[in-house]
Amino acid sequence: MTLVPVYRRRPSALHSARAGVSASFCCALALVGALYQHPLVLGAALAGTLLAAAGAGVGRETLRSLRLALPLALLVALVNPVVYQAGDTLLVRGGEALGRRWDITLEATVAGGLAGLRVMVLIVAFWLMSVAVDPDALLRVFRRVSYRSALTASLATRLVPVLARDASRMSDAARCRPVAPGRLAVTRSALAGSLDRAVDVAAALELRGYALAGRPARRRLPHSRQDLRVGACALSIALIAMAGRVAGAGEVDLYPRLELAAGVAEALLAGAIVALACAPFAGRGARMGVARD
Amino acid sequence: MTDRIVRADRFCFTYPEAPAPSLTDISFTLEPGSFTVLAGLSGSGKSTLLRALCGLVPHFHGGDASGDLQVAGMSVREHGPGELAAACGTVLQDPETQVVMGGVRAELELPLEHGGEPPGAVACAVEETALALGIAHLLDRRTDTLSGGELQRVALAAAMVRRPALLLLDEPTSQLDPVAGDELVWMLRRLNEEWGTAVVVAEHRTERCLPAADRVLALAGGELVCDAPPSDFLAWASASVPPLATPAARLFSLAGLSPPPATVREARAALRGASLAPSPARAEAAPRRRTRSDLAVRLRGVWVEIADGPVILRAVDLDLASGERVVLMGRNGAGKSTLLRVAKGLSEATRGRVERAGHVALLLQNPGDYLLHEHAEEEVGPGALLRAGLAGRGRSNPRDLSGGERQRLALEVVLSGSGSRAVLLDEPTRGMDRAYKEDLASRCRDLASGGAAVVVATHDTEFAAGFADRVVLLAGGAPVADASPTEVLGGGWHFSTDVARITDGAALTPEAGAGLLRARLEEGVL
Repeated sequence: MTLVPVYRRRPSALHSARAGVSASFCCALALVGALYQHPLVLGAALAGTLLAAAGAGVGRETLRSLRLALPLALLVALVNPVVYQAGDTLLVRGGEALGRRWDITLEATVAGGLAGLRVMVLIVAFWLMSVAVDPDALLRVFRRVSYRSALTASLATRLVPVLARDASRMSDAARCRPVAPGRLAVTRSALAGSLDRAVDVAAALELRGYALAGRPARRRLPHSRQDLRVGACALSIALIAMAGRVAGAGEVDLYPRLELAAGVAEALLAGAIVALACAPFAGRGARMGVARD
Repeated sequence: MTDRIVRADRFCFTYPEAPAPSLTDISFTLEPGSFTVLAGLSGSGKSTLLRALCGLVPHFHGGDASGDLQVAGMSVREHGPGELAAACGTVLQDPETQVVMGGVRAELELPLEHGGEPPGAVACAVEETALALGIAHLLDRRTDTLSGGELQRVALAAAMVRRPALLLLDEPTSQLDPVAGDELVWMLRRLNEEWGTAVVVAEHRTERCLPAADRVLALAGGELVCDAPPSDFLAWASASVPPLATPAARLFSLAGLSPPPATVREARAALRGASLAPSPARAEAAPRRRTRSDLAVRLRGVWVEIADGPVILRAVDLDLASGERVVLMGRNGAGKSTLLRVAKGLSEATRGRVERAGHVALLLQNPGDYLLHEHAEEEVGPGALLRAGLAGRGRSNPRDLSGGERQRLALEVVLSGSGSRAVLLDEPTRGMDRAYKEDLASRCRDLASGGAAVVVATHDTEFAAGFADRVVLLAGGAPVADASPTEVLGGGWHFSTDVARITDGAALTPEAGAGLLRARLEEGVL
């Protein structure tokens, strides 16, 4: 199951900072993807996320997210110009079919590409969060907000590796049969088995006192050096992204005619995002002792 | 307050839509700080009783309960598992589903947070419990990177972290090798003695737990049929339900000696006292190696190395001849399962050569993975159903069959089709009672006498002694012993049968040991 992001402890600033801070850092990078359409800014956010992943020692795991993000981005990029006809610059005159015109415009094509890039930024940023932020610690943060929802999420998180192992075992068992069974039979049996597994894990949760659980007590821990570094960068990325948006930096007008702002502001914004994404991992203070599973 | 940690009075329970009750008129009491073993054949109601004690029955599973069952003064019919969790910690059979969180530390913190403990108390209790159970080095590990034995310990720690007065364990040693199983039982004994925790353990292999126990409750068909100290239980089991007796007790019973010993130490002392201690074993000659034409599977210089990971198999050379009955033994992680997978062709060797003379059948650890259809008769034909002992059960859903029945059906599934030159079984005795193991040994002997090489990977030394004509002991991914059962199991400590320990390796099984003792008696030693 290479498409399931798995968290492992590593000696990096992102792993060492408290979960809420590290998650905020990833969310700040995702926020850039949500606020901007400008290719330079989106490219900076994507590059910044991948560089941060490399700095955190999870570059290879985060690159794996592109196996999911790229096809999805490509799909968005291809579908948008086909279904959206707006734009003055005609690239392909497609004629009329099914009661509508099928023209392809430059503006719709670029809009599709930018939407695809946005999708990639969001997926890669949240993937980084999945591989670099301890899910247990993150769920503990959420348990103070919504206890039962967070525990249900814990249960679902725990079931993912269990079910992945079940699926792998069932596939091996199918290979051991003299006549290979149909995929439908294996899938149906795997689904029935996953229900049994879910019941077993839910029973274990009951035995840990889940039914009577309340909101956990707040933990007051002093902020570590890594909390401050990562938190400051997360806050800076979020503030710069919002300020830039309010100031009109990185404006993109797609329709009816493509207009991209390309000035100093965009270059500064992109540079700042990349620099801040890398900042937690720069310098001697970022080096950590080795902590491995 | 109550002076009994458990008080059952005519407690009955029936699962939803079940035709008959799973527990009937159960009445007993347990003292605080006691160590109790729950014995019984498969389907006798042991797991259901444990689930009732922790409140999963009836609150989680549904069904009808009557009578009274109180744990720490709380009626399980009125208080659910969440409330009972304060007084009782529970570890069910499959450790993989007993762990809820992604990290070990979070797993131990969860019950305390549910109990509303402040952060300081949580941190302190986690450290204390981890140190007490010897898992401090695992605290920062992810749960999906732990072995079965490690998961078992973590689940036990999560059950113990609130210092419950009662600890319930369902087949805790079934997935562990003899070394890890012994360690777990010693740990339970320590918890029982030092913390005063009352322990209730459901086990098929009672010989592991009986030395620590002060009480045995035996169930049959959902009824409590024996409630006695270990020695009285063994006397009862030897006379009434021999499969429940320990090998040492069966040895004494077959030799006509009494009382049955509860431990190996007692048995040795009794034999010494009666001047019946047999002479130490003379090693048997190793089984004859077959010619190349007899070979069913041949492995030459087989390595399995994980990229950036450990070496699983190291230069393994192994010949499996037609008709041989081979048992593969070794600690968890020694490479037994991988060896079987490579022999079948399910996993590729990174180096080396595997030759197969024909079809190789492999039954993996979870028989349920082979059963894909709604009805047993859709899995195999009528003849195979008969061989699986399921004649007349063709319309049953495989999920409704017992563990042993599922195992037998899955074995017929992998054997269907053309004749197999080798039949490989991975841990088929896990969680099975002695009666089932004897059935399995008999089916495997039939396969071997039909010309197949039969290889069973197991931790069960008693099964190995009764079934095998050759034992291969793996350690660190390579065979470290490959000889007759007497040579391998007769002189070992962990990888040895109880009877071998009692007789200094002169016999491995109760039947063989009893023969020796009877001969000594006839010689007029007494």
